Amino acid sequence: MTNAVLSTDERVPIVKKKEKVYVTTFKRLVKNKLAVAGLVIILLQIGMAIFAPLIVTHDPIKQNLIASELPMFSEGHWLGTDNYGRDVWARIVYGARISLLVGITAVSLGLIGGVTLGLLGGYYKKLDGIIMRIVDLLFSFPGILLAMLIIAILGTSLINVAIAISIWSIPTCARIVRGSVLSIKQKEYIMAMKSLGASDLRIMIRHILPNAFAPIIVFATMRMATAILSTASLSYLGLGAQPPTPEWGAMIATGQNYMWTSPHLTIIPGIAIMLTVFAFNVVGDGLRDALDPNMDIQ
Amino acid sequence: MKKTIWYLMMLIAMLVLTACSGESASAPKDAGDAKGESSVNDETFTFATTSDVVGLSPILTNDSMSANAIEHVYDTLFQRNPETKEIEPKLAESFENIDELTWVIKLREGIKFHDGTPFNAEAVKYTFDKLRDPATAAPRASLLEPVDEITVVDENTVEIKTKYPYGPFLAALSHSNASIVSPTADQAQDLMKNPVGTGPFKFVSWTPGDQVELEANEEYWGGAPALKHVAFKVVPEVSTAISMLQAGEVQFIDNLPPEQLARLEAMENIKIEKTDGTPVYYLTFNHSRELNQDPEFRQAVAAAIDRDAFVSKLNGLGVRSNSIVGPQVFGFDESADKAGTAYDLEAAKALVEKNGYGDKPFKLLTANRSNFILMAEIVQAQLTEAGFNVQIESLEWATFLDTARSGEYDLTFLSWSNVTGDGSEMLYPNFHSDNAGNSNRAQYKNAEFDQLVVESRTTIDQKERAVILDKANKFMIEDNAAIAMYHGIVTAAMDKKYSGLELDPNGKWNLRNVTGE
Amino acid sequence: MVALIVRRGIQLVFLLLGISFLVFSSMYIAPGDPAAMVGGPTATESDLEAIRDNLGLNDPFLVQYGNYLKHAMQGDFGYSYQTKQAVSDAIAIRFPNTFKLAIASMIVAVVIGLFAGLISALKHNSWLDVTSTTFALAGISIPNFWLGTLLILVFAVNLQWLPVGGLSEPFYTIDGIKQLILPAITLGTGSAAMIARMARSSMLEVIKADYVRTARAKGVKEHNVIWIHTLKNAMIPVITVIGLNFGFLLGGTIITEKVFAINGVGRLMIDAIAMRDFPMVQGSVLLVATLFVVVNLIVDIIYTFVDPRISYD
Repeated sequence: MTNAVLSTDERVPIVKKKEKVYVTTFKRLVKNKLAVAGLVIILLQIGMAIFAPLIVTHDPIKQNLIASELPMFSEGHWLGTDNYGRDVWARIVYGARISLLVGITAVSLGLIGGVTLGLLGGYYKKLDGIIMRIVDLLFSFPGILLAMLIIAILGTSLINVAIAISIWSIPTCARIVRGSVLSIKQKEYIMAMKSLGASDLRIMIRHILPNAFAPIIVFATMRMATAILSTASLSYLGLGAQPPTPEWGAMIATGQNYMWTSPHLTIIPGIAIMLTVFAFNVVGDGLRDALDPNMDIQ
Repeated sequence: MKKTIWYLMMLIAMLVLTACSGESASAPKDAGDAKGESSVNDETFTFATTSDVVGLSPILTNDSMSANAIEHVYDTLFQRNPETKEIEPKLAESFENIDELTWVIKLREGIKFHDGTPFNAEAVKYTFDKLRDPATAAPRASLLEPVDEITVVDENTVEIKTKYPYGPFLAALSHSNASIVSPTADQAQDLMKNPVGTGPFKFVSWTPGDQVELEANEEYWGGAPALKHVAFKVVPEVSTAISMLQAGEVQFIDNLPPEQLARLEAMENIKIEKTDGTPVYYLTFNHSRELNQDPEFRQAVAAAIDRDAFVSKLNGLGVRSNSIVGPQVFGFDESADKAGTAYDLEAAKALVEKNGYGDKPFKLLTANRSNFILMAEIVQAQLTEAGFNVQIESLEWATFLDTARSGEYDLTFLSWSNVTGDGSEMLYPNFHSDNAGNSNRAQYKNAEFDQLVVESRTTIDQKERAVILDKANKFMIEDNAAIAMYHGIVTAAMDKKYSGLELDPNGKWNLRNVTGE
Repeated sequence: MVALIVRRGIQLVFLLLGISFLVFSSMYIAPGDPAAMVGGPTATESDLEAIRDNLGLNDPFLVQYGNYLKHAMQGDFGYSYQTKQAVSDAIAIRFPNTFKLAIASMIVAVVIGLFAGLISALKHNSWLDVTSTTFALAGISIPNFWLGTLLILVFAVNLQWLPVGGLSEPFYTIDGIKQLILPAITLGTGSAAMIARMARSSMLEVIKADYVRTARAKGVKEHNVIWIHTLKNAMIPVITVIGLNFGFLLGGTIITEKVFAINGVGRLMIDAIAMRDFPMVQGSVLLVATLFVVVNLIVDIIYTFVDPRISYD
């Protein structure tokens, strides 16, 4: 959508300027040790997701009922096997794919919704009232309940989980974007562009949105964490991935039945979720500090 | 700072303890030690159940949680003896068939409801008339569907006429939804909230969502129960319920999940009771779909499923048999055990290859309850092995029921707990064409089979009925109309301080004779 | 302030209208027949039809919604399809438990959160800061159903210090407090972590602010500087988190109540959704939404006290 509006010649100087911001941000970010740890975890997860077939030696959904519930460090299965005799390591690796996919889908959908509402609300006074009421309405609805209603309507599947989770990130995102729009709308250069006859859409996307970019990127990173956690919670309630999909939350939910005989079935996916969510949180934190020029970095 | 460190240590301790909980799980402290002289019978005996009762009226409910409570507050006219499988009189004293349509039932004398109302023929007529009155809209009105007329002969004799000869009639009268209610109480109050029966326990209170409390009926006609206070408490998570049992917060749970059996067995303060049961879990085809009408397709599916391997995953809590009418159900014959299609992966592969069954994906529908998911995951893997292309669709319970009823699936898992333990009670609702699209979710329609089921219902002679039921059973097994996955084993775990539990093959139990040391 | 309350009151009415419509229509389109849940597995089509008629499910959508609104205006929130119990009674039984749990976990969250945040800010960049920040972040990252099960395993089953579940004892007794501890920690950890982060960053800001420097320069004792100036100002974002988190908390009770066998509104809601018990879903969702709005109103009022610069007029 962005590209469609931009012509190449206009884009060049802006991209250059952006790169500079990226570089300084990145430099600040890597000074934050926790954030670096988070980045490493995220990169590892992305690596696992992309190269899953190369990393594992077992098919994550292939059962072997005779070799089920093997403990950790068993021969051929260093993380053991689950109650169906499926390799836990293979399921964790493939599960990384699913968590990332669901997280990215949910966050992108939420951003599209939130940015659109926020831009419209902030820019057009007439729409503001109604949009903010919608946002309030979504806000006062407990997220997990909203997700349950949506899944009750759409049915149980990962895509529907992503949709359900995305809806509950709309209100926060809309508020953030609206705030930046309001603060920048009155600036002189925007007024000037308006009087020069620039279209509203162009002003919004070319000039207003980039200014809201920093809070959006921080928000999106943090939301990845929430989305992954929420997917797990919904799976725990039986409303997530369809079996035999190796989804981490579903692995915990099933593993809990075996908690007393094979605790690793619960603890391993639990740690996987915790590490991933932790990583997105610290990186989000780090980004916020790095992007906020008022915060001095030591 | 101290808090932070404490917090940190707690987390580490938690992980460590979890990791080695395998060894430490069997170290319960005896919570009831210090009680001294007072008998454990005076303490509240608590049963933990995963969901709340819907209500406490036998007429207006139809779920197993409500039935658990109802069976302690009310009595039925007849009951099936868990050992002999014979139907015996309970509130009734005797019965007589004057002809095929007329049942004369003599009632026990001198019994009173908890509110003092005498139990008599009037009360029986009142209860049954209310149950079958269309205006009541009772969910189990079908129990008395064949009844034509009920007459009070004298104070303690009632005569029931049926519209047609009805074989499973006594079995129907032993169903907890055919329990006798106090007519005076029913007219004065809402039995759903305030039940009055003749049972061994009297109702005390019900806090919806939390618990039902009962107390001993000291004047019970069968002798006062030893337990003085009983509570049915809602604990939605089975794991939590088991932890509570281990910590002595509850005394009794039923329906033990196979995957937690090892944990329960390691607990020293409880004992586990098991008995072979009547519930059956089966895979069925949606017979209204074209593909499923191909007998070779059904045969290929049946041959591809290794049920022995599946049953081994139940940790001993399932009985393997090809028969749909279970070993504990009236109408079962041992020869049905091995009837039908045996597991033969190569044969299945050959059929799949020959007919190209693997080309088109089909849907395996399942409810998202743990035992159904277990069946679905294993069957899906086995069918895939044979070359089929199967996708699992798991749905929450309400949606699952709707989807199965309207026939929007290819294959699905169903179960039937068979409260009355009679084969007709299984085959008629689940497979007779009268009920297709309703309780016959398999949408099975077969005239020859229908004929056998009707015969089994309209024959009064029980020996003859057994033969007909066996025929009907084998007919559908050989037709691969449904594939029996396993037959349930009824389980319960109780605090060691108590004994005397009656565990019925249909999964019901009674605390009437339970007593503490 | 009266104007603020009145304005919020009017907004609340419209909000509730919107929510009730949203819930009503989503339950209406969702597959799953409430009559089938009432009738049980053996009900025939004619049984179901009778049940549907009885529950008014055969009326057109707008008629059903209109009827609901009409009754709701008169304070009648309908009767459960399943138990035939009045929705208001069913909620009245469960609400105190949810409320107790929410308050207890808020206390846990505020105490742990403020403490950790304070330490981080005062010992900025020390190992203590890093540790407590790490744990704060870990706190947000733990799935609460997982934490709940682990806590039960350790403190109730293995150590037997605390009961496994239930919330039946009055909260002012020792037993009542014991019952609250584990669920409150399970539910409060996430919020504690959020408060810790907010408190840390806002306190860091305040510590560097001019007036604190001035106060120090004037020779006010270090101890007093921190407590009076810093803490008071740092309270504002913390109060915001509490307000926003309250909704999150009410959502979290759904899972916590399930794990700890607590008879609360959260569990009522999931059970009602699963059983397609529409009036019960409506009633409990409206209650939760109202609570959320009221809590945020209270938060806004507190703002005006804590920080006189803020005004809503």
